[in-house]
Amino acid sequence: MSTKASMILLLVICGVIGIFRGDFSCGKLAATQKTEISFWNGFTGPDGRVMLEMIRDFNEKNPDVNVTMQRIPWALYYNKVMVSGLDDRGPEVFVIHASALTRMHRAGILAEENSLFAGTKSVPTDDFDSYVLEQTMFDGKHFAVPLDIHPQGMYCNADMLKASGMTNPDGSAKPPETREEFLKVAHLMMSPKGSDHPDTFGYALTSWPNNFSSLVAQFDGQWLDKDGKCTLNHPNNVKALEFMASLRSTEKLIPPPDNQMGWTGFRQKKVGMVWDGIWMVGDLKNMPDFHGIGAPIPTIGNHPGTLADSHCLCLKPNLTPKQREAGERFIQYLSSHSLKWASAGQVPARKSVRANPEFQRMQIQYAFSKQIPFMKYPPRITTLFEMGQEINLAVEKVVRGNAKAQEALDIANVNAQKAMDRDEETQKDAKLSEAAKK
Amino acid sequence: MKFLKWVVGIFMSLVAFLFISPILLMAMTSFKHESDVLNPSTVVPKIWTFENYRNVLSWAEEAPFGKWLLNSIFVSCSVTLLVLLFSSMAAYAITRLKVPGGSQFLTVVIFSMMVPGQLFLVPVYFILSKLHWLDTPFALIIPATAGGFGVFMLCQFMKAVPTAIEEAAMIDGCSLAGVYSKVTLPLIAPALATLGVFTFIGSWNDYVSPLVFMDSVRNYTLPVGIAMYQASYYTEYGRTLATSAMASLPLMIIFLIFQKQIVDSMSSTGLKD
Amino acid sequence: MTYKKQKALVGYLFMAPYGIAFLCFLVLPLVVAGALSVMQFDLTSKETTHFVGTQNFVEVYKDTYFWQALLATSRYVIWMVPALVITSLGIALGLNAMSRGRNMVRALIFLPGMFTIAVTAIIWQWFYNLEFGFFNYVIKTFLHGQPVPWLSEKSLAMPSIVVMALWWSAGGASIIILTSLQQIPKMYFEAASLDGANIWQLFKNITFPLLKPVLFFVILTSTIGAFQMFPQASLLTNGGPELSTRGVVQYIYETAFNNYRLGYAASISWILAAITMLFGMFQFLMIRKGVRNVS
Repeated sequence: MSTKASMILLLVICGVIGIFRGDFSCGKLAATQKTEISFWNGFTGPDGRVMLEMIRDFNEKNPDVNVTMQRIPWALYYNKVMVSGLDDRGPEVFVIHASALTRMHRAGILAEENSLFAGTKSVPTDDFDSYVLEQTMFDGKHFAVPLDIHPQGMYCNADMLKASGMTNPDGSAKPPETREEFLKVAHLMMSPKGSDHPDTFGYALTSWPNNFSSLVAQFDGQWLDKDGKCTLNHPNNVKALEFMASLRSTEKLIPPPDNQMGWTGFRQKKVGMVWDGIWMVGDLKNMPDFHGIGAPIPTIGNHPGTLADSHCLCLKPNLTPKQREAGERFIQYLSSHSLKWASAGQVPARKSVRANPEFQRMQIQYAFSKQIPFMKYPPRITTLFEMGQEINLAVEKVVRGNAKAQEALDIANVNAQKAMDRDEETQKDAKLSEAAKK
Repeated sequence: MKFLKWVVGIFMSLVAFLFISPILLMAMTSFKHESDVLNPSTVVPKIWTFENYRNVLSWAEEAPFGKWLLNSIFVSCSVTLLVLLFSSMAAYAITRLKVPGGSQFLTVVIFSMMVPGQLFLVPVYFILSKLHWLDTPFALIIPATAGGFGVFMLCQFMKAVPTAIEEAAMIDGCSLAGVYSKVTLPLIAPALATLGVFTFIGSWNDYVSPLVFMDSVRNYTLPVGIAMYQASYYTEYGRTLATSAMASLPLMIIFLIFQKQIVDSMSSTGLKD
Repeated sequence: MTYKKQKALVGYLFMAPYGIAFLCFLVLPLVVAGALSVMQFDLTSKETTHFVGTQNFVEVYKDTYFWQALLATSRYVIWMVPALVITSLGIALGLNAMSRGRNMVRALIFLPGMFTIAVTAIIWQWFYNLEFGFFNYVIKTFLHGQPVPWLSEKSLAMPSIVVMALWWSAGGASIIILTSLQQIPKMYFEAASLDGANIWQLFKNITFPLLKPVLFFVILTSTIGAFQMFPQASLLTNGGPELSTRGVVQYIYETAFNNYRLGYAASISWILAAITMLFGMFQFLMIRKGVRNVS
């Protein structure tokens, strides 16, 4: 082929595709009748398929609106939602975890949503737990509608529980509730007994930082003190982390940390109990011959407790009235249909939906929802991401046996505080320069 | 000596087999049933199935694979075309028209080639956001044309090509632009082919720019699309491998056709990051 | 207008498209990078943007995560460069000694380089998987050993990444070496063989000295490339375990696009660039020398 022919071929390819994919810029012109709403979230698992069905249903019932969904894995999602929001290219409706709202709010990419809670077709405020609703409010104003609550909880292999003698009078499996019961059952489930390399374990860690955070809630630990200073090395946090480390070092109960047994092992019936997020329910659904049941995390510390968070529905600021109205209608729809969403592996944020007998028939979701009075959300700070990284690193070091709980948390505390100080410093500069302008 | 040659030949064939075995394994496994995928004891699928491919392609809302493919083709073709055009024009101006300051410019261009790519990540992002080009194909196409390698390489090549034919064309009354398009371009065709293939592969495989510059899933190119797909469905290896195989196929075909140019481009230049 | 002036004008028109692209996306970014590095610039609170002088660089100096990332990158460089040079030299020598099927073998070895890093990482993640990976399957079934945590054990993670990177890039490097091997005149070897030199002597006294420039080139380019290590580790281990494989570029990416601190990220970029450019200078001088030889 001659040079010219090749270059012309390239040009033709570019031209044809360029026209073919014209929806890039002028696609919006084609659908002027409908209000286009793009909806972003990180539901990339089976839960996303449920969400997709809900959107299809909404689009059918609301012919004047067209909602399209985009899913990106959470880790990348936050970056994309933030930068596109800052650039005013962001989606009209999007999902943000309650714990991440603080940063998003300061960046100015969340619209106030007070109007959603007022009026006749509104989302009723008193249908939410006040603790959950507080997470979404800034200076007394609503900035998001909590769609669900997703606590950590305990998944048990019912057959293995029964085999270890944990049964209710009616013959069903009885999950352990106290520290003693939990440790006893976990030891009983190990086999072969006394082996250095057991094949089957009673318990395995899943997401280390999440497991740790649930324990912190139980041990009355804290992330911040009254003045908002970091207290990652709070004595109770240390106690919680020491318990986690002891599972391997002294109890010899859990598989080696490198042995990524956690959830995979549970699925393969090699692990009897794990603590994980409620969203894993969807994974068990695909395994009809697996008898998984849910239960609150046993009381290891001073009282029951668990880590939780919420997916919150947010709107982009400065929408046109038409878009805003459509967006609000969509949020109302999702909120009032959250029973369907619960089936994907969530606890609905609305009390009325949780009272529905159909929800109470979802065994795992219902069992996890019993923890709502004891649940703890991550702290509401703008540098949560940085703090989370420090906690991850500290927990990783301790679980691998490369550091003592106290020293790892001391280091994490110093670093997390440094990030907070730096953040505060820049905000101070901002206030000063603002004052100077005035 | 002949015996030694045989030994080396066999040994090198083994090495070659070692290098392509992961690719073969990927291809084979993508045709396995999901339940069979995680079982490495049989390399060849017990039952051949297109299930994985069908699953990937039928869930377009989840992974708009066709869209990613189109994006990749569009971006790579545009980059290649523009790089060939811009670089050859600049090289023509420097080596043939000998514009004042041309050789100094070339030195600056060569100097710029040693600046590590990571330094450009943040500022280019910043510039693209000011231009409102983020999340559009421009973000992947235009910055990619600024690299100095093409100009450098074509200048090198053109210096070695005699100017007699071009001068003859000039005497025959051909305009400068005419000489460029009718005489010079065909003369440097081998270098253009090498540069074109090299640019195309680089653009096709680029992972970091689309990761940083693109927000919407439908605007991703294949590398980022696949990485994202894998992050979402890491438990479904069969599908992930099927996606990978499909994404690699176009380049395999190009490799078969342009093997010589590709190898040439490697031998004359460089390694990747 | 004189002919000369006209020619220059046309020349500048021909230069313009590339020149503009060069100015906008090579020169301007450098200026912006310089400006950002002396600014406090947080994407999420743009109103706090202001000039801070060298404060960012002081912070980088005190930042333990930066030093940790630099250590990870250095470990990658130290593993990768020698491994790449030795492997590709071996392959090139082998290819050179082959008579039949050389092009076929060369193409096959080069083939992995055609894959995008995303696909490469998917394949190798699957190989390294602890539970059902190919390597551990071989260890469990044929060697009756305990599965090896390739990617989650601190001492193994980086070498595992390097092995993947070798598979990905050894083909390209060996082609470069092979090309220059083939340029060594055959008569050198014939003459030495007549004098009774053995293979090792031939390699030591003829091949190696003549290969020195190309080996130097491969070492330089691969060192510069290795300092840019990012998707190799981020896709395979995501920087773990305990951040031991998080390189500087990944740290820059995370600082800029997860923490949104563009100013600070630009400062780190400059420091890494300074280190890389020490090696880049050599490369530049080499290329310059090459340019002069041609012209």
